[in-house]
Amino acid sequence: MSSGPIVRIGGVAARWLSQMGALARFGFGGARAALALPRAGRAVVFRVTLNQIRFTAVHAIGLVVLLSGILSFLVISQAVRELGQIGATGLIGTLMVVAIVRELGPLITALAIVGRSGTAIAAELATNKVMGEVRALEGMGIDPRQYLVLPRFIGAVTSVFALLVVFDVVAIFAGFAAAAINGMTGTRYTQIVLQSLSAGDVWLTVAKALAFGLIVGIVPSYFGISVRRAATEVPIAVSRATVASIVGVFLCSALFVAIG
Amino acid sequence: MTAAPLVFENVPLSARERAPFTLSVAPHQTVAVLGDEDSGVDRLGGYAMALERPRAGRVRTFDTDVESLPERERLAFRRRVGYLPAGDGLLQNLSLRDNVALPLRFGSDATPYDIDGRVNVILVAVRLGGAADRRPARANEEECRRAALGRAIAFDPLLLVLEQPFDGITARASAELLEIARGGETAEGARRSLLITGQEIPSVVQRRCDKVYRLTRAGTLELETA
Repeated sequence: MSSGPIVRIGGVAARWLSQMGALARFGFGGARAALALPRAGRAVVFRVTLNQIRFTAVHAIGLVVLLSGILSFLVISQAVRELGQIGATGLIGTLMVVAIVRELGPLITALAIVGRSGTAIAAELATNKVMGEVRALEGMGIDPRQYLVLPRFIGAVTSVFALLVVFDVVAIFAGFAAAAINGMTGTRYTQIVLQSLSAGDVWLTVAKALAFGLIVGIVPSYFGISVRRAATEVPIAVSRATVASIVGVFLCSALFVAIG
Repeated sequence: MTAAPLVFENVPLSARERAPFTLSVAPHQTVAVLGDEDSGVDRLGGYAMALERPRAGRVRTFDTDVESLPERERLAFRRRVGYLPAGDGLLQNLSLRDNVALPLRFGSDATPYDIDGRVNVILVAVRLGGAADRRPARANEEECRRAALGRAIAFDPLLLVLEQPFDGITARASAELLEIARGGETAEGARRSLLITGQEIPSVVQRRCDKVYRLTRAGTLELETA
């Protein structure tokens, strides 16, 4: 049997596709499990979801404000200076909307959440599995996706969306400050940013928030819950989840650009 | 005559060449199967609950091949059997009380008020009292075991599968937990049928078991006490 490069590439592609299929099955299974929740179970899931949002969104606000503020301040400061020299400050609005609000905002927010909470989700679920908690849930007739995965998934989607709003608002205000420090009037800055911003940008941002939230919620959960019984698998699962989530977010971002 | 609630037929327990395992737990009986760690005795609970699939043979619980059921039905079926896994399997981010309530919250349509009432009754039955609001990490082994047993009997099942239920607790506590697990007495014996697996059990518990088997190195099952 030949083991040439084409066979190897085919093998990698088959494994990748199989992994994607398993992820999709996991996601759909989770969605189906959500529909079968009894009333008291919904209350438990709601409580765990709120906790997840507290850890993923509320505790990450400072980080997102810092990243957004610095990024926007640096980009707009440089842009006002450089574009001012060629009389093209009108492009600052496009730069703010296209580069920061539409592209970098969702990307950086998602990456921050992957680094902060995606790793935590993968580690927590992997530990649940190693400690026998997942087996105990199954033994009690509880679908682990209902109790462990669903709240993390809803929490991640909600958090990415909320933090993205924070990111964009802070970016626009930091850009305002940068423009003012570099000699541009506030009225002019507001005018050119509002001119460049369309309803399409807002919807695209919303769509990205949902897509990235999906990745941040599903991928770490999948890798976390896929470990078997050994504690040594926990860091491996966390590492795989992080890499897969980052790659997923970038690929998804590229897909949005391609179809946009 | 009522059918045995749990039957293992020719199930291989070890990768080595050993005799397949056959056992039937009759109604109202407390049966213990003991064995060394490499005997495969730790697999019996997983097979009984259809958490693992045996390589060959078959396991029937309440005359049903649980393994062959669709996933959702399999989950629903497991609520008919109480399960205390090795190491308790308590969720670390929940209090002992919430651990006991969890199967009722996810597996029944009862109102939160009714569930709280049932949980209070269980907590009294397993004598958890003041420790109920502690998380497993802050409770001692006996309290965790009591909570795990409370969780296993949440739906008042007629069959209980207990994996290493007496490890790390005193003989007195073991005997007490066994009585709670048996669920009282009827004319035929205990109200519940019990399968207990593990390496060893205290002699006071052995005396209360209807049958105690030991898996030998050859894979055969020897009756120790009847």
